[in-house]
Amino acid sequence: MGTIAGAQNILAALKGAGIDLVSSVPDINMLQLINLLYEDKQIAHVPVGREEEGIGVCTGAHLAGKQTAMLMQNGGLLNSANGLTTTALQFGIPILLLIYYAGDIGDNAFHMVGLVTEPVLQGLGIKYIVMRDAAKVQQDIAGAVTLANTSKRPVALLLTRAVL
Amino acid sequence: MAPLIKDELFITTAGGATAEWNAVHPSDGNIQVKTLGLCSSIGLGLAIGLPKRKVFVFDGDGALWMNLGSLATIGLHQPKNLVHICWNNRQYESSGGEPTVATAGEIDFAGIASSAGIKSSRRANTVEELKEAVAHALNNDGPHFICANIEPGRAEAPPLKYDELENKYHFIRYIEATEGINILRVAMPASYLLK
Repeated sequence: MGTIAGAQNILAALKGAGIDLVSSVPDINMLQLINLLYEDKQIAHVPVGREEEGIGVCTGAHLAGKQTAMLMQNGGLLNSANGLTTTALQFGIPILLLIYYAGDIGDNAFHMVGLVTEPVLQGLGIKYIVMRDAAKVQQDIAGAVTLANTSKRPVALLLTRAVL
Repeated sequence: MAPLIKDELFITTAGGATAEWNAVHPSDGNIQVKTLGLCSSIGLGLAIGLPKRKVFVFDGDGALWMNLGSLATIGLHQPKNLVHICWNNRQYESSGGEPTVATAGEIDFAGIASSAGIKSSRRANTVEELKEAVAHALNNDGPHFICANIEPGRAEAPPLKYDELENKYHFIRYIEATEGINILRVAMPASYLLK
């Protein structure tokens, strides 16, 4: 589920980095964060049915001047690989990818997805940070958004339970 | 429909829809899509980001089949300014003419859109019906969905002269100019920060 404190920490960091639209597909470990997004008035929240839709939504919103993030589980990263490649990377679209790292060391489900997550990001040429330290959440999110904007590419943050 | 259009924005799916629309309505407010099926989702994001601007999506029946769930997502978010047109020629024309799900003759894209919550959902079987549906969409709040049933066949239109990046820059600069906003920002070089 994550903790309320962890979710508040992440939400504050997203706002601090200028994120004003978040598209999402749920994962139980991000429940608290998603609940906060539903209530928040400052960030537009756009739930979608499948993660690749969210890459499209974030792309369209970027064209409108929004600073966007896509919240999903790493299984959803796999679902969105073509949209990331032929839309986000091919058109040069900055999107912050907030990905729950299922199957990571210490996690108890989806170990196959966990196994391929980092190689897939590397194969796509998407830079990423594995977030294991709650004290560095603000720094990691701000840094990822800066790189997304200057490189005009998606940048990924792999969220572990330690920060949620 | 081109004579009805002023400064509306157009997201066009890969293939003939992009080339043919840019031939009859060349504009920096047109942007191509290269991911089959994703044009409706990109249109949704653009419509949410610019709620006072009409956003047209040109989809195909093969592309819509790939992202049919996007109709439900549009129905959920109810963007008033989105006009989603599916050009239904019942084949993957740009891929060589293979049949799509529409060849079964039973599928009703407009009915699916309506059931997904897109209340302004219409079928157009003639040019006059299409013009009427587009005029209705231009003058009324949506979201709108129009299934335009068309015959296969490519018009004589040159390919789009811009690649994806050039198309994007033109499109964003057009949004900046017409909306009076700043979207593309260049980071201040470190040397400018010296005092």
